[in-house]
Amino acid sequence: MTALLDIRDLRLGFRTLAGQIDVLHGIDLAIRAGEQVALVGESGSGKSVTARIILGLLQETRSARVSGRVGFDGRDVMMMSPKERAALRGIEMSMIFQDPTSSLNPTFTIERQFAEVMRRPDRKLTRAACRERAARMLDEVSIPDTGRVLDAYPFQLSGGMNQRVMIAMALANNPKLLLADEPGTALDVSVQAQTLDLMRDLVTRHGTSVLFISHNMGVVREFADRIYVIYRGRIVEEGPTPAVFADPGHAYTRALLKAVPRITGRGLPDVPEVSDDFFDPMVRHGGTS
Amino acid sequence: MSPVIRILARRFGISLIVLVGVSMLIFAIARIIPGDPARIALGPNATAEQVAAIRAEMHLDEGILAQYGYFVRDVLRGDLGTSLYTNRPVTFDIRQFLPATLELVILAGILMVGIGLPLGILAARYRGRWPDHLIRVLTLLTVSAPSFVWAVILMLIFAFYLPLFPVAGRLSDSYDITRVTGFLTVDTILAGNWGAFVDALHHLILPSVALALSGIGQAARLTRANMVETYDKPYIEMAQAYGFFPSRIARSYAFKPSLIPSLTIIGLDFAAMLGNAFLVEAVFAWPGLSRYGVAVILRKDLNAIMGTVLVIALTFIVVNIVVDLLIAFLNPRIRHSTRGAAS
Ligand SMILES: Nc1ncnc2c1ncn2[C@@H]1O[C@H](COP(=O)(O)OP(=O)(O)OP(=O)(O)O)[C@@H](O)[C@H]1O
Ligand SMILES: [Mg+2]
Repeated sequence: MTALLDIRDLRLGFRTLAGQIDVLHGIDLAIRAGEQVALVGESGSGKSVTARIILGLLQETRSARVSGRVGFDGRDVMMMSPKERAALRGIEMSMIFQDPTSSLNPTFTIERQFAEVMRRPDRKLTRAACRERAARMLDEVSIPDTGRVLDAYPFQLSGGMNQRVMIAMALANNPKLLLADEPGTALDVSVQAQTLDLMRDLVTRHGTSVLFISHNMGVVREFADRIYVIYRGRIVEEGPTPAVFADPGHAYTRALLKAVPRITGRGLPDVPEVSDDFFDPMVRHGGTS
Repeated sequence: MSPVIRILARRFGISLIVLVGVSMLIFAIARIIPGDPARIALGPNATAEQVAAIRAEMHLDEGILAQYGYFVRDVLRGDLGTSLYTNRPVTFDIRQFLPATLELVILAGILMVGIGLPLGILAARYRGRWPDHLIRVLTLLTVSAPSFVWAVILMLIFAFYLPLFPVAGRLSDSYDITRVTGFLTVDTILAGNWGAFVDALHHLILPSVALALSGIGQAARLTRANMVETYDKPYIEMAQAYGFFPSRIARSYAFKPSLIPSLTIIGLDFAAMLGNAFLVEAVFAWPGLSRYGVAVILRKDLNAIMGTVLVIALTFIVVNIVVDLLIAFLNPRIRHSTRGAAS
């Protein structure tokens, strides 16, 4: 079974005035078509940079040194030209962000933002066609009054509403891969849970693969088929969600799990900073990948 | 659209207060400066009776409040009195000299926006790289000298050592253009005289560039600073994640939102050009309102001083209102300042 996303030995360092800082130390991560995979770890462990590499954005940052293989749909993103990488973004893969309201352009109506996204694969799409398709997408994320939302500016909508808009927008071009970087962490816990349910339904229906980034094991349990636990730029445990929860093999995973009851969706898990056994070799729950 | 009307109404109210305040202040100051305006106007050889006659005609012997009362009454009738310097109605003089100044200031404003903003956008888009460094050095140079210094430098280089542009005036003597609007670039076109139009534009370039240079630098630096800040916003990362072209991200995602805070200051800079025009007009012997203003102040020509000040204050007010409207147009938060029911 070939994977849609197949990351091998991904390494990343930043050149700074003080020398090179290594952030990722050889990550292997794979997502099959239609699979929902979570990448869990504490702040600064290298989750967002991984997403930025998959999108091909960090490769264009001059201070970043990236190596390894990022296979996507049979091609290696690392070998592509900046133009080829840009052609994937927003069409083959898209991303949703932590804070929905500040991730939308404050000077555009929702309709205009949809149009920008939907014209990525088809520049000649008419305004009427954009509006109609956008309304259909909003319908899919259970937004009732689609006309009014399309005419609104992000600041006129609630955070939860903007979150649904962003999900609808991310799926508007039917991408193969959706990257969700701590979606809705900035929102209310109940709103967050509601929109995550919605997103889960939607990606299942569309058959979209998802890389779900989070620091919260509790949220991940609801959402992901499979989990990668990342600690300081290394994957320390990987396996199907039930297996990881039933039998966490790595000391760091156990520490994360112990922190779960104390997280309320917001805030960071209360995990000890360092412990010797956090550097133990990776644990794989067999049979899956 | 009601928030925009509310903003306009408030702006008009404030403007009226400012206008009345400015007129009172200048009215009082002009009368406090030592020297008898009638005596200055008539010269040392006039008789005491002649001086007294003028003083009576201008109500100079009455209390200052009464004088202000006469002034307001006349202004409401559209009468600014007679200039003791030119012996013509002040309204006539203003109509004569204001277009020359406006022509200069408007072209300078167009240069400021038309060159300053694109430079700022370019610098922000290539922040930290050579186009940015180059633009920052150049704009630092332009803002570091006031416009009259640039006027002298430009005149020396481009009119004196390299005689590419005329040294002074608005039009060569060989042309005779009937005055319609007072804007020579417009009147020459109305007259169908292409040669005169080019000549008028030729005269206009050096003084307006001198006037615009520091504004161009300021607009570019301000635009760059606000845009660089905007480039750190999450919606820029979102735009990148969607693969939009960098030029499109620069225009619609980084520039547009950051123009809103820049605009107020650019508007003030534009209005300030009216003041800077005084010295540029002096350098280029430009027959504009600013030169007129200096001349009448030196002669304590009370009516002409009031007229000039009122016109300049009015121009400031108009510029401010235009800027407010532009901001309301650009910023949906102002246009829709009530929270949408869809939330
Ligand atoms: N442009 C950059 N230059 C230098 N270091 C960077 C840069 N971007 C990220 N880093 C570093 O890389 C490490 C990983 O960052 P990343 O944003 O991926 O963390 P994260 O796991 O997403 O954390 P969080 O949960 O806080 O979002 C951090 O230590 C960060 O300081
Ligand atoms: Mg992150």
